[in-house]
Amino acid sequence: MPGADGLLGAVPALERAVGEVAARLARVTVHVRADARSAGAGVVWLRDGVIVTNAHVAATPRADIVLPDGRELAARVTARDPRRDLALLTVAASELEAALRADARGLRPGELLVALGHPFGVAYSAALGVVHRAPSAVRGPGGWLHADIRLAPGNSGGPLADSSGRVVGINAMIVNGLGIAVPTHVVERFVREAMSDRRRSGGVRAA
Amino acid sequence: MSASSSDGLLSAVSNDLAAAVDTVGRSVVAIHARRRIPASGVVWQPGVVVAAHHTVQRDDDITVSLHDGSSVSATLAGRDPSTDLAVLRLADAAGAPPVAPAAEPPRVGQLVLALGRPGGSVTASLGIVSAVGGEWRTWQGGAIDRFVRLDLAVYDGFSGGPLVDAAGRVIGLNTSGLARATAVTVPASTVARVMGQLLARGHVARGWLGIATQPVRLPPALQRSLGSESDAGLVVVNVEPDSPADRGGVLIGDILVALDGRAVRDPGDVLAALGGEQIGHAVGLRIVRGGKAETVSVTVGERPRARR
Repeated sequence: MPGADGLLGAVPALERAVGEVAARLARVTVHVRADARSAGAGVVWLRDGVIVTNAHVAATPRADIVLPDGRELAARVTARDPRRDLALLTVAASELEAALRADARGLRPGELLVALGHPFGVAYSAALGVVHRAPSAVRGPGGWLHADIRLAPGNSGGPLADSSGRVVGINAMIVNGLGIAVPTHVVERFVREAMSDRRRSGGVRAA
Repeated sequence: MSASSSDGLLSAVSNDLAAAVDTVGRSVVAIHARRRIPASGVVWQPGVVVAAHHTVQRDDDITVSLHDGSSVSATLAGRDPSTDLAVLRLADAAGAPPVAPAAEPPRVGQLVLALGRPGGSVTASLGIVSAVGGEWRTWQGGAIDRFVRLDLAVYDGFSGGPLVDAAGRVIGLNTSGLARATAVTVPASTVARVMGQLLARGHVARGWLGIATQPVRLPPALQRSLGSESDAGLVVVNVEPDSPADRGGVLIGDILVALDGRAVRDPGDVLAALGGEQIGHAVGLRIVRGGKAETVSVTVGERPRARR
């Protein structure tokens, strides 16, 4: 039915919806600057100042954070896991808005995804794509979330979200044009382990 | 944080796309017929899989992985390098439902999904149809019913996978084997036609003259004396012994300027004029020999299979 119900019955609403998801993600996405060379994004994971980013973004024990409201804060890198490419940052803040999350293992290929980050330094840029391959239970490359989406340096550490704006992964790298993200369940496990380590040792585990 | 109505729309679109992938994905198989990663294929009719010829690197010992994870052995029914298609017969057709082709031609701007199964699970990418054109010829002379250009990323192992609309209907088969640097979609109508010929005969019959040519420029004086509108022709550099051209009296050094009244400037023009339907029919070759034009009648033969 070419043109049967075309001419802007649905497209403006669709554009608005993508914009709303991007705006929702922007409220939980931060800038992360660890040194002069690396800059990326991060996601507020817990409202009391716990932020998740990539290990390759937070390569030093300390980092500077810019919150969505413009506040600049010093962060400590309280845990790093280069294998999962995850790092945990802690800032002295509370009452932050934390990201809504969903398990990426429930995603189906073809589902819409929205990424937010600072690609090539352009702050809070959104990208639209689809699930290429959902993470499987197996360890190895199949354990990552593969997205058909256009990412760039600066998306690292930022959120990849489903069509409801729930974070399903942390964007980590680009391989053969595919966006590769650490799925949320892996991040949750990492955060859990890091928090319990911190409680046990009361100290920093940064590598 | 309540869900708004437009949030529901995005989820609805997302669900439509995922449902299209799920529906068609059951017909997308992995083809194990090369080293490195497997390629993709599509169950086009019960027990019959169409794949990209260039990914089927062996004729025997081919296995196919279905959507349910099972493996089925397959035999090669035939291949057509000119359209980069190969057809396989499955030893067991159960568990491999065929796809439904799209009834309408694709539209520029339409949302499309490219699917593949380069391994166990189906994978997807999303884009739009960026241009649609008429019939064209591949560099090997294969006839493709419609030109479809995509704004869509294709990944390793996607060749042989389907291009799907949002309703889960198959527009065609994607391959990286027909153009440098970009993926080409072979339309469903072309896939069906070539598949029919491969299943019936094991190959796609193509017309054959038995000449090799290269382009030459006609000097203005010669062009004037011939009354030719074209300033170019094809000089015959080889005539296969006992070929249709040989039997028709074509000689090395003849300059071919027209075939059945249509000017030829490029060897591809000759290939394009030699479809399978021409076999057994006489064609008129307008040639320049010793500065004079004459017409030679040649009965088109069938291209020998070793020559493909």
